[in-house]
Amino acid sequence: MSTQAREVPAGAPLLAARGLVKSYGRTEALRGAALDLYAGEILAVSGASGSGKSTLLHCLSGIVRPDAGSVSYGREQLDRLPEERLSELRRTEFGVVFQFGQLIPELPVIDNVALPLLLAGVPRAEAHVRADAWLERFGVRGQRELRPGEMSGGQVQRAALARALVTDPRIVFADEPTGALDSLGGEQVMTALAHTARETHTAVVLITHDAQVAAYADREVRLHDGAVQESPMLPQAVSHDH
Amino acid sequence: MTTDVAARASTRPSVRTDTRLAWTLVTGSDRRERWRLALTAFGAALATGFCLGAAALAALTGHQVSVPYGNGLLDQPGTRQGVVVALLLLLAPVAGLLGQCARVGAVHRDRRLAALRLAGAGPRQVRRIAALESGLACLAGSVLALIAFGAMLATTGYPVPLAWAGFVALALAVPAAGAGVSVFALRHVVASPLGQVRRVTADHGPGFLVGLIVPVLLVVADSALLALRGTRDIAAAPLLVGAVVVVTGAGSVWVAGASSRLMGARLAGRATGPAVLIAAHRLRQDAWAAARTHAALLLVTVVGVAFVGIREVLLDELHRSQREGHMGMDISYYTFGIDLVGGAVLVALAISLFSLAVGTAESVATRRRSLAAQAASGVPYGVLARTLLLETALPLAPAFVLATLGGTAVHLAYASAVGAAVPVVMPLLVPPAVYAACLAATATSLPLLRRSVHPSELRAG
Ligand SMILES: Nc1ncnc2c1ncn2[C@@H]1O[C@H](COP(=O)(O)OP(=O)(O)O)[C@@H](O)[C@H]1O
Ligand SMILES: [Mg+2]
Repeated sequence: MSTQAREVPAGAPLLAARGLVKSYGRTEALRGAALDLYAGEILAVSGASGSGKSTLLHCLSGIVRPDAGSVSYGREQLDRLPEERLSELRRTEFGVVFQFGQLIPELPVIDNVALPLLLAGVPRAEAHVRADAWLERFGVRGQRELRPGEMSGGQVQRAALARALVTDPRIVFADEPTGALDSLGGEQVMTALAHTARETHTAVVLITHDAQVAAYADREVRLHDGAVQESPMLPQAVSHDH
Repeated sequence: MTTDVAARASTRPSVRTDTRLAWTLVTGSDRRERWRLALTAFGAALATGFCLGAAALAALTGHQVSVPYGNGLLDQPGTRQGVVVALLLLLAPVAGLLGQCARVGAVHRDRRLAALRLAGAGPRQVRRIAALESGLACLAGSVLALIAFGAMLATTGYPVPLAWAGFVALALAVPAAGAGVSVFALRHVVASPLGQVRRVTADHGPGFLVGLIVPVLLVVADSALLALRGTRDIAAAPLLVGAVVVVTGAGSVWVAGASSRLMGARLAGRATGPAVLIAAHRLRQDAWAAARTHAALLLVTVVGVAFVGIREVLLDELHRSQREGHMGMDISYYTFGIDLVGGAVLVALAISLFSLAVGTAESVATRRRSLAAQAASGVPYGVLARTLLLETALPLAPAFVLATLGGTAVHLAYASAVGAAVPVVMPLLVPPAVYAACLAATATSLPLLRRSVHPSELRAG
């Protein structure tokens, strides 16, 4: 699958999930969750612990297949795509940031950030140039040769953001990216993420249970027992004509 | 107005990219990972060495040669075949060792592969990277073995020049097999970018299948050899012995697994001391891991008991013939042959004990943080040390009983077939000796345990 230009009509969502159901054994993590994500918006998904936020993010990003329901991205339906195509999407059009653990401990930060490019076959020198630009932007260029274990939690998360954005993705999926940080570190990470997303017109799905973090979003939906409740518009929300 | 979603050229991943990435990962890896690679290379070198030796001897068919090694034993086609079988049998403990190596640092490797998947590596690509990692390590070991073997062979003026092509092919086949096995072992891990960390169902049993591979290989090797030699009456004996070894070996592995679980469940309920309690819970949770680890050791015990029994009978015969003057003066040709088999059994035992030591060290290293936490919360070091020994000692005990029975069956059958007196004492000394050696091999991890329970480990990542 080489160049694939997909067109999304104006006003139509970039990513649309309908009726998502996912069970783990007897636990029903998602029961009919539905959600639209528009190009360039920052969408917060909040909810109590165990309400299915992470599971929803995994389904939306194609990391986990839902038991029922659909996730459409442009003309493609993620729940039906083969694993190889989902992987390709992750290294080209999606970026993922978790609370921790997404960087590879064996690799220095620079290679970690360049990883999606390296996986796609971009020559190392070029990949490093692009990765360096992102590290610079998030203020961790000085740590480029360090392993993740040698950096502070906030620095690791900013490096993780750099990695999520290095491929110029359409969507960044962030699962409580500041969950393991103190409030100052969390603020730095969120400011960096929100600024960059607005500048590059990247959509963000931001999972959080923290109202201060949700305040960075354009729009917030609440998850309760695996289903999305009403979607109140935040005061500063941008309007989407739909 | 339309928004284009993806109008960018995506470069395709290639084998070259993957090789470079595998190399970066290997060179950037921590000490444990390097241990794994070094041990894997060592195992591959052993496997290649044994295969090369067997192939070199097998290729001599029809040649009357004089080999400088082996007391003239290798000059005769008949005895040569025995040596070939012995060399092939040695592959069993080596396979066990390689399996153990694959588990070293497995937690880290699984996490790393999942992280690669998360960053956008496809399942095939991750498999290729993993296969390249272990394949390259195996290749290094095999090439070293080939060089050493070639040097040794060159001094003997080996008479079959064509065989060299076969040797090179063998040295390449071993790493290829190693890469294939690692891909197979990782089939579950590569399935999800989230790794195996949050797995819904615990697996049980497949470890037993792994334990069966080794005996099945033995039977295949045995029957292949029989087919090659044509069926003579006497030729049925190795098959029979093979079958007994297979049945008791596989049975012992099963007993080790099943009894681990049973014993764990029973002891967990009525344990009085904390060491037994912790060991019991670990046994119950991971019963088949223990069985897998001990498969090669149990097989060696079966073979060891049978060998010592048969050796007694044979030596008796030889000495009697010599006294009665049937034999010429020199029985060293025969005793050397017997000693050679004994040596092979000891080598197999050494490799298996080494595997056990590697496995124990790995299990301590993996649980480092939890061990430090236990120590910090007041569990004495002595209790943790006894727990470690018990985890090996408990499941092995009943399995050893079965292994002893199997080995005894073999040498009893032999003794009654040749109408000799049944040796009693010597063969029965084997299991306690091997059992003690197992505990000693486990104990080699105690210094690592002592370091692990240091409170500073609580901070280590
Ligand atoms: N892999 C899994 N195996 C078993 N249960 C799971 C798994 N993943 C999630 N769950 C369960 O599904 C529910 C929702 O989990 P999750 O999506 O992680 O919630 P949240 O992120 O909102 O805290 C929880 O009850 C959790 O225990
Ligand atoms: Mg969560």
